[in-house]
Amino acid sequence: MPSPPLPDFSSSVKLKYVKLGFRYIVNNFLTFLFVPVIISTILQFLRNGPDEILSLYNSLELDLIHILCSSFVLIFAMTVYFMSRPRRVYLIDYACFKPSPACRVPFASFMEHTRMICTDQKSVQFQTRILERSGLGEETCLPPANHYIPPKPTMEASRAEAELVIFSAIDDLVKKTGLKPKDIDILVVNCSLFSPTPSLSAMIVNKYKLRSNLKSFNLSGMGCSAGLLSIDLARDLLQVYPGSNALVISTEIITPNFYKGNRRDMLLPNCLFRMGAAAILLSNKRRDASRSKYRLLHVVRTHKGADDRAYRCVYQEEDSDGHCGISLSKDLMAIAGDALKSNITTIGPLVLPMSEQLLFFFTLVGRKLINPKWRPYIPDFKQAFEHFCIHAGGRAVIDELQKNLQLSAEHVEASRMTLHRFGNTSSSSLWYELNYIESKGRMRRGDRVWQIGFGSGFKCNSAVWKCLRTVKAPVDGPWEECIERYPVEIPEIVKL
Amino acid sequence: MEVLATLTTLMLIYSLYLLYKFYSLKLSSDCYLIDYVCFKPSSDRKITTEMSGAIVDRNKTLGLSEYKFLLKVIVNSGIGEETYGPRNIIEGREDSPTFDDAMLEMDEFLNVSVGDLFKKTNISPQDVDVLVVNISMFSPAPSLASRIVQRHKMREDVKTYNLSGMGCSASMIGVDLVRNIFKSGKKTLAVIVTSESITPNWYSGTDKSMMLGNMLFRSGGCVMLLTNDPARQAQAKMNLKCLVRTHIGSNDDAYNCAMQKEDEVGRVGFHLSKGLPKAAVRAFAENLQQLAPKILPYSELALYMYRTIKQMAVKPKDSSSSAMARINFKSGVDHFCLHTGGSAVIDAVGRALGLSKYDVEPARMTLHRWGNTSASSLWYVLGYMEAKKRLRKGDRVLMISFGAGFKCNSCLWEVNRDLDDGDVWADCIKNYPPQSLVNPYMERFGWVNDHTEDSFKQSEREFLSTR
Repeated sequence: MPSPPLPDFSSSVKLKYVKLGFRYIVNNFLTFLFVPVIISTILQFLRNGPDEILSLYNSLELDLIHILCSSFVLIFAMTVYFMSRPRRVYLIDYACFKPSPACRVPFASFMEHTRMICTDQKSVQFQTRILERSGLGEETCLPPANHYIPPKPTMEASRAEAELVIFSAIDDLVKKTGLKPKDIDILVVNCSLFSPTPSLSAMIVNKYKLRSNLKSFNLSGMGCSAGLLSIDLARDLLQVYPGSNALVISTEIITPNFYKGNRRDMLLPNCLFRMGAAAILLSNKRRDASRSKYRLLHVVRTHKGADDRAYRCVYQEEDSDGHCGISLSKDLMAIAGDALKSNITTIGPLVLPMSEQLLFFFTLVGRKLINPKWRPYIPDFKQAFEHFCIHAGGRAVIDELQKNLQLSAEHVEASRMTLHRFGNTSSSSLWYELNYIESKGRMRRGDRVWQIGFGSGFKCNSAVWKCLRTVKAPVDGPWEECIERYPVEIPEIVKL
Repeated sequence: MEVLATLTTLMLIYSLYLLYKFYSLKLSSDCYLIDYVCFKPSSDRKITTEMSGAIVDRNKTLGLSEYKFLLKVIVNSGIGEETYGPRNIIEGREDSPTFDDAMLEMDEFLNVSVGDLFKKTNISPQDVDVLVVNISMFSPAPSLASRIVQRHKMREDVKTYNLSGMGCSASMIGVDLVRNIFKSGKKTLAVIVTSESITPNWYSGTDKSMMLGNMLFRSGGCVMLLTNDPARQAQAKMNLKCLVRTHIGSNDDAYNCAMQKEDEVGRVGFHLSKGLPKAAVRAFAENLQQLAPKILPYSELALYMYRTIKQMAVKPKDSSSSAMARINFKSGVDHFCLHTGGSAVIDAVGRALGLSKYDVEPARMTLHRWGNTSASSLWYVLGYMEAKKRLRKGDRVLMISFGAGFKCNSCLWEVNRDLDDGDVWADCIKNYPPQSLVNPYMERFGWVNDHTEDSFKQSEREFLSTR
């Protein structure tokens, strides 16, 4: 007869205090160890009196040579230690594209356009249902070309949208940081679904007259997680070039990707993706540390492409009528959860406090050796981070992650509100969410932020930032005019 | 006293260990090219000049001037009879390429070459740490990098980078990316995949500047394996010495000279303007300015300084262009891999660097045999040199490429061991260099130059009905 499973202790109040105590002891273990030692040493000194101490010192027979050698070795060891550390990467500031109200797509407009463009009644109904449950608000924006009936996805319009969103974001960033374009050493641009030749990075070089020995990279096709991927690339480059800064642009160009067909799994992006862009300035110069907002602690990348199901869950292809679109499979949530678990396995040991890691380790050992029916211990990431920026891919993604990571409503508020106000802006959504947290005045010095992005491939990338100075509201940015109205209550279904 | 001595010794040992770690970090910034595999499409994809002519004929909107223009382009291109094109163009569907056609073109390359590289170098896909893919004009979601990860079941922590839109010099950008990642010190194995997508980019209009692209680009690709692990040095073919990237996009003419855009009626094509040679020269000059001090021996640099000073003393306002021709690049470089953008490009670069017929032969022969395969062309040129057994240990190879934007990227490799692997050239190298590079199309269709607009249309109909 199998032994009864471990009862659900977590609901017991007494256990909560035990857990708290355990956390305190383990996390401050070294302090607990050293404090008695230090106290006893001090007591010993006081008891012995100054003369005894002096005689003790003389008995050591130290002379100048010994002291000099010791101090030399000490200084030498410290220098080598500091030199061999990886260069710190600072985020000086970032700016998000603020769409003009003229580009707004309220539900009524979207449905009217859909009814006029879509030939199939069933598709119209499907899109209505999606929009009702999407978690989007009435102020999300589409580029000018998509406001035509039918939309006009020309290359010229796509380039125009790219210029609009990217240049606005960069201009904002220049104003905020006083950055001179000629000082940019590294440029990384990521835009998944629009990649003209010459690249968007060349477009930026041309507009801002950047230097000819600039290191530019244009990443494309890498999905909604590409923003953190670009940060990782910029970080690797900043390790190689001392005294440099890097400009990272994350965006998604909507114009060329309107799906004209009737396949349901391909209609979802039409409903969810909206216009957005973010420009981020990174630096590895020590003197920028005092004016930077954040410091990059970790970036962890997980690629689940080896699994066929994961590879196909966000897939661009042609439907039977020859219309090109991106299909989102029904397994998306499960695969996202799986990718997140893999990512957590790597990032957990880097960020979790010792108490959580020990608990996880003991539970793992217990499950393997003692009783496999023990519930697996989900580490409490709220211990490691104060703020969470989850990619606003859709309502379901945020719900799934909230459940998986056991987060409260306040932790995912930034993600939900960003989805409501701006829609799914793909790789730049994480920066809109960060701006929300700052605008609410919640970002304090020492706070740690966890940005999680998911994307086609299937990839899950995370970045961990540490806040270096308290950000005082009001904050310049896309939330400036509407932050007072947030958070809003987002109903399960909006009746259209 | 003993306590202090022990502590001091321990600190010393620790700091020496840190120092050793620090310097091994610096040393392992070497970038070795273990091997590379070029792509040879199947022979049913060969495009002869006659087939090119038939493809041009299919576009009924062309008039005499366009026909003559295209003729001139085809004849002067230096492209031979055995280059390869994508299937949809050969099958006559160039005007309506589907997404599946484009994917098929990529799959034919990826499914063959990546596996070939793993087999050749005896590396398992699970050992790959970094994967860089660059295909300029086709970028689906999920990326082609993810497609390779899926097919070969690579690890979860593989770092993939999918570069796109960066033009014909993008394989150098891939090498630059990998080289920078190598400098972190960790022993890394990197795969770079470079190719170009022609299928979705056929121009079906009448703008002359956009028709050039149709005529010149051919199918090809290359997959390279690089590492910074000194343990694999014996296996490596070449060692990267330096890499210089130049981007003159800040100049509006340079930025606009090679651009993908719509013509007046809205058809998308790749526009190559008349200002392209000038932009190329400017970018090339700037690149050489940075490259020359890094690759030339001090004796040559000193000689150059002496010549410049002498020249300035005689004619102080003289431009530097004539002075540049007198730098002897062959003193620091033994072999030249020039981007096969067209015979005009090869000639121009050869003249600028003062190269002989022997030096530009690999590039010319690659253009003849494979056409302009965009970013991967440099590797076919390298393959020619290897097949001709020109690469000996210690030789230095300079690669120069140009790309839209406008970019000029160059790098210098040092050959690690005597190389004689023919790879894709193995079966035809004995036919090179051929007796004559003259295009047979010229002989058959030279009459075009003798016609006016009306007589052209009449005789064209007569002529085509007899073929």
